[in-house]
This record gives sequence, C-alpha cells and structure tokens, in this order.
Amino acid sequence: MTTLTKDSPISIPSRGRHSRREGDLGRPRGPGSVLSYAVLILMFGYFLLPFWWILVASTKSNDSLFSSPALWFGDNGLIDNLREVFTFNDGIYLRWMLNSAFYAAVGGVGATVVSALAGYAFAKLRFPGRNLLFNVLLGLIMVPATALVLPTYLLLSRAGLVDSIWAVILPTLLNPFGVYLFRVYANDMVPEEMLEAARIDGASELRIFRSVALPVMRPALVTVLLFSIVSTWNNFFLPLVMLSNDRLFPLTVGLRTWYRTATINSGASVLFNLVIVGSLLAIVPLVAAFLLLQRYWQGGLTVGSIK
Amino acid sequence: MTGSVRTRRRSIHRQTGTGLLFVAPFTVLLVAFLLFPLGYAFKLSLYRSTLIGGDVFSGLGNYQDVWADPEFRQGVVRVVIFGLVQTPVMIGVALIAALMIDAITSRFTKFFRLAMFAPYAVPVAIGALMWGYLYSPDLGPLHADLLTGPLALISMGNIVTWQWAGYNMIILYAALQGLPREVLEASRVDGAGQLRTAISVKIPMISSALVLTVIFTIIGTLQFFTEPLLLQPLNPGTITNSYTPNIYAFYQAFSYQQYNYSAAVSFALGAVVFVGSYLFLFFARKRSGLQ
Amino acid sequence: MGKQRRFSRSVAPALIASLALTIAACSGSSGGSNGSGDAGSTSAAGTGVTRIKVWAWYPEFKPVVDLFNSTHKNIQIDWTNAGAGGDEYTKLQTALKAGKGAPDVVMLEFQELPTINLTKHLVDMGKYGANSIKGNYVDWAWKQSTDGDKVYAIPVDAGPMGLLYRADLFKKYGLTVPKTWDEFKTTGQALKAKDPKAFITDFGANDGGFMHGLFWQGGAKPYTYSASNLPNIGITMNDPAAQKVMAYWDDLVKSGLADTTSYGTTDFYNGLSTGKYATYIAAGWGPGYLQSVAKKTAGKWRAAPMPQWTAGADAQGDWGGSSFSVTDQSAHPKEATQVAMEIFGSDKAAWKLGIDKAFLFPTSKPILEWDYFRNKKWDFFGGQAVNGDVFVPASEGVGIFDWTPFNDYVFGQLTAAVGQAVTKKTSFVDALNSVQSTVSTYAQKQGFKVAS
Repeated sequence: MTTLTKDSPISIPSRGRHSRREGDLGRPRGPGSVLSYAVLILMFGYFLLPFWWILVASTKSNDSLFSSPALWFGDNGLIDNLREVFTFNDGIYLRWMLNSAFYAAVGGVGATVVSALAGYAFAKLRFPGRNLLFNVLLGLIMVPATALVLPTYLLLSRAGLVDSIWAVILPTLLNPFGVYLFRVYANDMVPEEMLEAARIDGASELRIFRSVALPVMRPALVTVLLFSIVSTWNNFFLPLVMLSNDRLFPLTVGLRTWYRTATINSGASVLFNLVIVGSLLAIVPLVAAFLLLQRYWQGGLTVGSIK
Repeated sequence: MTGSVRTRRRSIHRQTGTGLLFVAPFTVLLVAFLLFPLGYAFKLSLYRSTLIGGDVFSGLGNYQDVWADPEFRQGVVRVVIFGLVQTPVMIGVALIAALMIDAITSRFTKFFRLAMFAPYAVPVAIGALMWGYLYSPDLGPLHADLLTGPLALISMGNIVTWQWAGYNMIILYAALQGLPREVLEASRVDGAGQLRTAISVKIPMISSALVLTVIFTIIGTLQFFTEPLLLQPLNPGTITNSYTPNIYAFYQAFSYQQYNYSAAVSFALGAVVFVGSYLFLFFARKRSGLQ
Repeated sequence: MGKQRRFSRSVAPALIASLALTIAACSGSSGGSNGSGDAGSTSAAGTGVTRIKVWAWYPEFKPVVDLFNSTHKNIQIDWTNAGAGGDEYTKLQTALKAGKGAPDVVMLEFQELPTINLTKHLVDMGKYGANSIKGNYVDWAWKQSTDGDKVYAIPVDAGPMGLLYRADLFKKYGLTVPKTWDEFKTTGQALKAKDPKAFITDFGANDGGFMHGLFWQGGAKPYTYSASNLPNIGITMNDPAAQKVMAYWDDLVKSGLADTTSYGTTDFYNGLSTGKYATYIAAGWGPGYLQSVAKKTAGKWRAAPMPQWTAGADAQGDWGGSSFSVTDQSAHPKEATQVAMEIFGSDKAAWKLGIDKAFLFPTSKPILEWDYFRNKKWDFFGGQAVNGDVFVPASEGVGIFDWTPFNDYVFGQLTAAVGQAVTKKTSFVDALNSVQSTVSTYAQKQGFKVAS
C-alpha cells in the first residue's frame, strides 16, 4: 500500500494503452480484461432481456401471447395491435400519454426548482431551523407512503382538488432525495470564497444564486431534472387513488385499469395485447429521450461529484 | 472594523431572509404532504375503530396489537431478510458495474451505461408486468414456478435489482468520476492493479455516495410494496395480503377499511425502518457524509 | 452570465407552456370530466338536463351509455371507468369517507354490496320507485340487492355456473360427459390414462368467487347476514356441504387430475388453448370469455350442465355478477335511480349490446327469456345455443346466498389458505377450518355478534 497524498507527483502513465475521449477528463483507463468484458456483456443481456420480451410480445395477438414461448415471435399482429391501442375507447390512450407528458414536464420542472432552491439554502445560506429541518427530513421518509395516502386524499378533498391535475402534480413537487442531492452538489460545486466575494461586493443573495451558483450547478440541475421527470412519468400509486376521471389518468394508471379489466374474469375484454403494446409505447419516449439527450445528462453526471 | 461588521450583519440578515424564502416552497409542500398527513395518520393510529362501533380512543393499544399480530411479525421478518440480502446484492451489482465502466476505455461502456439505466425509465407497474410474463412456468424461458414459496421473494428481488441497479450505478459512477486524478495516478505509479486500486482507493473515497445509496436501498427494501402488490394475483397463495408490512397496511386501509389499524401498522413499520437505517448509519458513521 | 440567461430562457417558456396547458386542462374535456372534486351530478341551470355521474367497468360500455343518452333527453350520463374491481372500491370508499367525490351511480359486484352498504352511504332506491321492477329479476339476485322493501342495488349481470368441455377431446378419448361429480372424477381418471399430460380441469384457488360458486352449488350456506339484522351474523364456512366440496377438490388435485394454475394468468389461457384442460368450469359469462382467450380452439367446445352431487338433482351456483347502486352523495337521487334502473334494465336494445359485445349474462327475466339471447347460436361452440341449453336453466336453479360485509377480508383469507394448502400439499378441509376460525374471530373483533 502506498501513501497517497495530494502532493504525489503527477507522472506520465506508463501502463497499458489509454485514449483520451471526449468528456473523459483525461482519466487514465485500461482496455479491460476479457473477464470484465464477459461480465459486462452478461449484465448487458440481463438488463435488456425484458425489453426484448416486450418488443417480441407487442407483435403478437392475444392468442399468440398465450401460446407461443415468451422470447420468440409468434404471429404478426403488430399493426393490428397498434391500431387497436390508439382507437380503443375513442383513443383514450393518446390522452393518457399526453397526460403523462404534461404531469412529467410540470412535475419534473417544478420538483427540480423547489429542490434546487431548498438544497442550495440548506447548503449555503444560514437561517434559523436549518439543521433541525434537514436532520428531521430523513426520519420523515421512513414512514411508508401508504400511511400518507388517506390523509393526503382528505386534505386535497377539503381543498376541492381531488380528481384534478393538481392531485397528481402537487405531491410530486415534494422530492426529499432531490433536496439531498442539491445540498451535496451545492456544497461541492459552489466555492464559499466566490460567495463571500460576491457578498462583500454587496450583491443580494438572490443575485448571487442566479449569477454565481446556478451556472456552476447546472449539471446538478440536469441530473435532478432527469430523475424528477422519470419519477413523475412513472408515478402510479397516488394518482391511482386520487383520480377517478379516466380522462385525467396518466399512462401507468390507464394501463393498470386495462390490465385489471382484462383479468377480472366477469366480462370479456381480453385486453392483454393492448396492455403490452401500450406499455411498450409508454416506455419508448423516456428511453428515446435518454438516448437523444445523452450528451447532456451523462456530461452532467460526470462533471459533478458526490463526496 | 465597524464597516465590515456591519457588512457581515447585513449579509447574515440577507442570508436569513433569502434562506427562508428559498426554503419556503419546499417547507410548505413538506408540511402539506408529509407533516400534516403524518400527524393525521398518527392521530388515527391512536383510535380503535370497528365496522360496527365507531372510533374509540385507545392510546397505544393499536400498537400493542400490531406488535402481537403474527401477520405483522411475519411480514417484518420477511422484509428484514429481504433487506439483508437485497441491499448487498443491489449495491454490489451497481458498484461492480460502476467500477468496471470507470476503469474500461471503450465505446461499449457508453451503451452499457444506457442499457443498465434503461430499466429505471420503466414504470414499476410495467416492469412487474414484464417479469410476470417472463416468470410464466409454461411460456417463460425458465419453465419453473418462480412465484411460489421462498422462491417468490428471490424472483421479486430480481425485479427490484433489474429496475434500480442502474440508477444506483449512475450515482456511484458519478462519484467515481469526481475522484481527483492525482490520487489514482499515484496508486497506478505505486504499482497497484485495477482491482487493488478499486478496493483500496476508489471505494473508500466514494464512501458517502455509497452510504447514500445503501440507506435509500434499505428504506426501499423494508418498505417493499409495489412488486408484491402487482404480482399477487398470479399467486395469492404465496403473496398474501400480509406478505410485507406495507402491503398489510395497504389492505387494512383500502380493502378492510381499518384505517386506524393500518396507520398503526405503517408507523410500526416506520419504527423498524428507523432502527434499521440508524443501525447501519451507526456502523458506517466514520464514512458517513450525512452528519 | 450567458448560462444564467440561458437557464431562465429555458425555464420561462416551460413555465408559460405549463400554465397554458394547465388552463386548457382545467377547462375540462369533452363532456366527460367533472373538474375539481365535485360531489356528483350537476344541473345546468334552466336547461333541465340532469347530468348523472356513473362509474362502471363493463366492457364495451360506451355504446350502452350513448344509447341511454340518446333516448333520455332530460338525463345525461357521464361515464368513467374509474377502475376495475378493487381499484374502484378503494376510490369509492375513500370518497365516501371524505364526503366528496363519489359518483351518483356506481357499479358493485354482488359480493361487495354488503360491504359498501355497511357504510350506510347507499340510497334506498325503493323510495324512488325501484320496487316496481322487482318482478323483472331472478329471485336470488333481487334478494342480494335488497333488504325487504329497501332496494340498494339494481342487478345487472350474473354468472350461473356450467361445464364447458372439449367435445373433440372427449370424442377422441371415448369419454362421456359427466353428470355427477363422481362421474367427473372417473372421467378425469380415464383422461389421465389416455393423456398423462392433460387435466380434466383447472382448479383456480386464487379466485374467491369461483370457490364460493362451488360452495353455493354444493348447498353450503357459509354466511347468514342481513343488514337489517345487524350486528348479528352467522359464519359457518366449514359446514358439511362446504367441507364436502373442499374434500372433493383436495382429492382431485392430489390425484393429479386437476391442475392448480391460477385463473387469469397466461399459463391458464395457455392451458385452455392447448387442450391441457379438457373442461372449464365456467360461469354464464364464461363462453364469451373463453371465446376471447382461446380463439384457436373455436368449434371444439360444448356446454353441459354442472355435474351434480346427487344424480338427477338440480343444484346450481353463481360466480360473479354486478349491479348498480346510488350513493348518498348524489344531488339527484331520483334521476340516479332512474339511470340505475334503465341503463340496462330489461331494455332489449341495451342488452343486445351487452350480449353481443360484452358477453354479459343477464339477471333480467325478460332478457333471459328473449329468443335473441336464449337461442343465440355460438359458432365457437359448434352452433350450440349454450345460453338456452345450459346457463339459463342453471340461472333458474340458483338459490339464495348471503355475503358478508367484509368480503375482501374473507376472500383474502380463503385464497391465501387454500393457496398454501395447494403449495404445501396439505388438507383443503383443514385450510377451510382455519379460515372459519380466523373469520369468526375477525367478525367478533369488529363488533359483530357471531353465531356459528
């Protein structure tokens, strides 16, 4: 074991080949052993297996779903399935999709803004109750959300907001994990000296936040925004209980309703092919967004650091 | 001197004002959607209610019933075992993956990162659906009854790992990416191989990120809910209405209308989670970035 | 500076866009939504049109709603599928508890009716003339929906039980259609001898309604309960008849004659499609259901009456069925009652939709006797009129049966206990006895006076 100090000389790496790639920050890396590649490839297959399943399953009609093996094709009902999904019940699926997008956008942006402000305040501003509030936060999320559903319902009902978009959006704005992340990021990325300098110059805290902190925290914003959008898009339990107007359902609740209607026995709506194709179409936007926006969020994550 | 004192005081005054302002939206939401519901639920838990009679104040009576309730206790044992196994597995997978892609230079690793993170984008309801089909004894690839008996917990644990390992991996990977070059260079210069570097250098240096992910995984496993709920129809003989304490709380409230008892179950579970989390934090206190 | 401006430039339009979308969303969509937590119906001032909110999950229900709306100018239905089964009941219970948000008219399965009724939030439709259609409904369904003259639900559909069997396989293996449960077992043994991989049927231990239908047909009366007789309740889940049923199926499962795959799973449908199951113990909605999940086997199935416990008897049971109730949050109980009575009622046009598209089995006597329904020939069943042959006669023989006001608890306990017995290969009768004990204890703790 060597002693590692900050004063160790930066020497030219002499082992192995490494190339500097964009966004790499010049980190020395090796080509990787056969073993590690094998492990990675196995894991790769494991993570993608269900996606393969749902792609294959989406091409099947109901009969084929129930009789052909899960991982290979049966008949070719993809076009029919797609058509059915979008026309069933007057095209309510499209409505659900728009709802999900709306909730995710508003909820995601909203949660990010709220968490950023709070996280920064916890990290960099001094105000009474700061430590108490922060320490209590972790304890609060230990009680399962199940306990909160009925009181939340009663509260929103009193406010007349049950069965409305606010019943979905408002609760998602509360994101303790996001606040944690921002506090850590703010601590790491925003140097105290810059803040002090700006304060001495007489800048207001708001101004400091906007001009000094925010630009530096941009990768954190992107990261938390991404996580918030995903989490709101996938929001399921609370909307399930709050919403009874099916025109307000997000995709998760809508698909669940189709699924339950199909499995409830008394009734003959065999909707499984719809549930599967609907699920595939529900996943595609997010995965596509990840792929397209890779540069931003992968860059964002690597510039930050959680120590 | 007085000039800078005045500036200092004004600065602190400004900080307080802005601090409170910034924290206000979060605090309002916290009060509305966390503190108030918790308070209300706690109050509920102090009353007993029967289908025939009304509400009767019973103090901690519900809690006595809960701790004595065999269905609750079995659920607790189950989630504790689940947590003890699932947490190392999940974080282990995430950590190994993060270390590997941190150390390897290849275009493939970028695809791999995406592939591992993609399940996080899948709503839990759909993830459970996908794996439910893959677990089909006749049509799935494994041709085994994976949702019966003890195997059920492992099968559901698999779904959780599949869904969340990528998310945890990204957090750990980001931490790894933030490590200072010099330290890693020094390790390399001193002759340490990749594995040694990983174990002795990298892992200790991302300990606070590790603690963060472990804590949230512990909380998640002890509160295990969604996967059992969604897969229950496939095998209600194994996945019963009290399979985990959280599921038990759900059915008590939303199927049996036992809102008071349900609240007590939830808080009792909260106590278990509290103990579990702080036990872990205690043992990890030297490395914790959360103090 | 640039980054900061870019940030606010990207946030501002996002906020404006969301604001715009918000306004658009709040102003409501085409006729269906009711916006914020409104308790129920609205009456557009001066136009005399009463809007009634209905929650239901019947398949293909929209054409039925449209039909009603086109024939009733003063009452218009706003329908939403708020969830199927338990999901809907959860939302209903929370809305009833909160005092706001429940619909005017809600679809309730018969087995769930006492539970909802116990909240005392259901309207007695007898006050609004519901008793006038009493004669239109089969006796047992009306009894489950009422309490003397108090009418808490209008029956819609049901599921009298019968046997659907693979005629082609029976012919191939020289099997005779069993008329008694003893014959059912011997037929099963003969089948097993010819095809070791096949089962005479599947026993769905995950379905409480199915098992209760078997108890019902076996002559068991597990519960004696009536809302007007509170807090008394009789719980005899393990009476001799029920034990007989459980012992029988225990034997069939343990002899490998009956499979134990859960109903409603892919493997179950697979079994129906591939001839793994030679029979399907079905309810009146079963033919349509089978036709949808096992298309490949069209033409191969036939229907026969349920095997009897005693040769020549006519014991029948029911599995499933639902009704419409009116909640006390309705601002227009009279119109809501009318909706409940008339949306299906005995209306041939509505029932044509229900029969053809949703494969519902009626509880309405005029519809049961209607030629269109009774003599409908099913291609899937080789042209057999399964309704008239099997299920309508069965419907006539279904007797009185009570449910408990904590049905979810009972079903949960039963499916868990029998499921465990299946997995651990222990006695079904023991499982039944343990459920009897847990349920009695539960009822006592809940304040009921339990008689066993």
